[in-house]
Amino acid sequence: MESMVSTGLIGLSVGTQYALISIGFTLIFGIMGVVNFAHGGFYILGGYIAFSLTHSLGLPYVAAVVVSMSATAVLGYVIEILFVERYVADHMATMLITLGIYQIMSTGITLGYGAEPAEFRFPVSGSLRGPGFFIPYANLVVFVVCTIVIAGIYYLIFKTRYGIALRAMADDGPVARAQGIPPAKMFPMAFGIATGLAGLTGALVTPILALEPHGGEAVVTKAFIVVILGGLGSVTGAMVSAFLVGLIEAYSSVYLGGSKGALFLFVVVVLILLVRPQGLFGTVDRKA
Amino acid sequence: MSSASITALRVKGATKQFGGLKVFEGISFEVAPGGVMGVIGPNGAGKTTLINVMCGMLKPTSGRILIGDQDITGKPLHAVSRLGVARSFQQTNTFRSVSVDENLFRAQRFGGSHGGLDLGLSELLEEFGLIRHLHEPSEKLPYGLQKMLGLIMVLAARPRFLLLDEPAAGLERRERTQVDRFVEHARSRLGCGILIVEHDMELVRRLCPYILVLEAGRLLAQGSPADVLSRKEVIDAYLGASEE
Amino acid sequence: MTPNRHRDFKLDICSVVLILPLLVAPLLTESPLLDSLSFQIAIGVSATLAVYIMLRMGLLSFTVPAFMAFGAYAAAMLAKGGTTNLLLLMAISFLVPALIAVPLGAMVLRLKGIYFIFITFVFNEILQLIIFETPTLTGGSDGISGVPPATLFSLDLAGRAGIVLVPVVVCAAAMLCTLLVTQRFRAEFTSIEENETLAESLGVAIWKYRTIGFVASAGVAGLAGFALANMLATAHPSSFASWSVINFIAYAFIGGRGTMLGVVAGSALLIVMNSIFSSYAQLSAGMNGVLLLVVMIAAPGGLVGTCVRLYGAAKTRVNGALTAHVQEERA
Repeated sequence: MESMVSTGLIGLSVGTQYALISIGFTLIFGIMGVVNFAHGGFYILGGYIAFSLTHSLGLPYVAAVVVSMSATAVLGYVIEILFVERYVADHMATMLITLGIYQIMSTGITLGYGAEPAEFRFPVSGSLRGPGFFIPYANLVVFVVCTIVIAGIYYLIFKTRYGIALRAMADDGPVARAQGIPPAKMFPMAFGIATGLAGLTGALVTPILALEPHGGEAVVTKAFIVVILGGLGSVTGAMVSAFLVGLIEAYSSVYLGGSKGALFLFVVVVLILLVRPQGLFGTVDRKA
Repeated sequence: MSSASITALRVKGATKQFGGLKVFEGISFEVAPGGVMGVIGPNGAGKTTLINVMCGMLKPTSGRILIGDQDITGKPLHAVSRLGVARSFQQTNTFRSVSVDENLFRAQRFGGSHGGLDLGLSELLEEFGLIRHLHEPSEKLPYGLQKMLGLIMVLAARPRFLLLDEPAAGLERRERTQVDRFVEHARSRLGCGILIVEHDMELVRRLCPYILVLEAGRLLAQGSPADVLSRKEVIDAYLGASEE
Repeated sequence: MTPNRHRDFKLDICSVVLILPLLVAPLLTESPLLDSLSFQIAIGVSATLAVYIMLRMGLLSFTVPAFMAFGAYAAAMLAKGGTTNLLLLMAISFLVPALIAVPLGAMVLRLKGIYFIFITFVFNEILQLIIFETPTLTGGSDGISGVPPATLFSLDLAGRAGIVLVPVVVCAAAMLCTLLVTQRFRAEFTSIEENETLAESLGVAIWKYRTIGFVASAGVAGLAGFALANMLATAHPSSFASWSVINFIAYAFIGGRGTMLGVVAGSALLIVMNSIFSSYAQLSAGMNGVLLLVVMIAAPGGLVGTCVRLYGAAKTRVNGALTAHVQEERA
């Protein structure tokens, strides 16, 4: 019984992490039609920046996380303006451009930090033990922070004018433009928000999991799964399926073991997609 | 059953519904080989959807489409094309980045042209002024020429029946007689039966001895243009007259 | 660059011709570097051709590593079981992935662009996990090692020359297959890529040609996988990681995605450059990334496409100058 609740808690915690990564990913796709293959790069960069700030500069962890998030957001904003903006209409071009950017990022990181994993520790250790469950403090903290951020994003996307404008662009670009919403400003900002989220998640999660140059790849693969399951372009879909994936993954790893667990997850996702190809919350005529 | 309707293109009780929206319902008519039929009606009446259903781009919710006795309902677009029912598009539709002659090469290859019967395509190319542009990419051509190229390409599929979706749309007045020429060529050289969806009433009067009026998803009237176009309900449908 | 049937065919033939020297290189020289480059290029070209075939239909397919794995493992199992005839191994490494591609394609090819990419990417991951979970069949995370080298009747292919020759022969087969498929169906593939609805309305059964391309791509990838496993004498899951496909995609786009010549040029160029910088091994991915960006932004036709465009522009200028000159003479 203890392990079921504990596993569930881990699953939820992992779910919030996946949610942060996937919301950004699906936002970029939904609004701009861009598949950001560099997303994992921003994630791992967030981890490395926080690592450098805490280990080399001695900055307190919280400050390091905030700086990481801001740095990856700004970097994403700049990269969008320089490299992505002009090619937004061409799906294949943006895919390859972001692929190229990912290659450059991961090479830069390897050159800067070496290929070996870095020793990045979470500042809080130990676990919270309660009747019938336990959860490491680290996961708890990450869970709380991510949930707060998700709530903030939810508010931004669904309650503010800016967010409504973003969703209008995602749903029907030409109409949104006709309403006077300027895409030229919205795209870089949306991209920056998404990459900022990725960097934040990296700064929070890599101390718990691992910090090595190619760590972004597994994360992006997870993001792919979450986003397709939720429905490409749907922020709600990404949120819901992130938790679903986190829980399925947690339970199947514990009860089925390592790779069998991951396999189970993939098979479940594929089955769902065969029945409902547009994902749980996707609409049928997605501009894919 | 007369010998003409043995190989006529027949629509029987076709209905198309998207969720709660009924686009058209219970439409039945026949296009005879070598015949020309016009379909007119206000915007939103379902004319393009009717073509989409007849050519296989959409499945009808109910009803059947047949060539003579052969049921082609629900067959995909490419199969229906191969079976002899080909459609044109309202907007210009060619392979934009390649030349005019490459476009024609592909159309003939895809349509399964076996040589033999001369479709007379080069005459049409000459008449419409496309010969001069044979090696230019089709996207560089003026709108009217692209439209006519699109029509000629449809002929390369050796159709028995043509479904023309607003062939004159976007053409200048003086270019519209090219549509007449095209229709005449398709009828006399290939023996095609032709269905024309159009808004240009003069063209419809010139070319179509028989027309259907589609309004709000049903067949409002049918008959000769002179007859149908003078009927009150048809005029009202276009002008949206309301009862006072 | 705008497609042009006749010119593109000639360029494709050039690419086949360019590979031929690799066949004789190991016999003429004793350089281990040249050997290494030769078989790396041969394998790289084969895998990139699998990507190329799909690109001809406008599809970016991430299935290549998975089909390479199928080909590699099938051949490895056959070889360990006693059959080492090169032709038989090539045949099975082509056929197994090709056959698997038929039902997979039926499920996956009707998905729209982005979904297709995601699902094919995930498929790689699934395959890796299946490999880990079936140690008795596939050797799990250790792979199948000690794979006997291919033999061709009485010829010795285990020696230095053989190690290079086998991948080059496989590459030649891959090129032939690609040439056949992309030339025979060039019009259909290009039309599907450019304007699917129009192609279908003219009578093209889209699903049929997509499947043909997918199956051919799978078979060619399988050949590449066999060449790799034969050279390493091992079929190991790490050789077929999902993200490894980025390299082949880079070779195709940097070289020029419009012709086979682009594939050969891109693979050769990048593999040679990566080996020159091999002391800075970390740099190679970054360098590929930079080149990819440069190509996408400044030279979308890649190396070959840009050359073709410049040549065409130069020709026009020369013709223009000549015409002006002639007119002057007349005046």
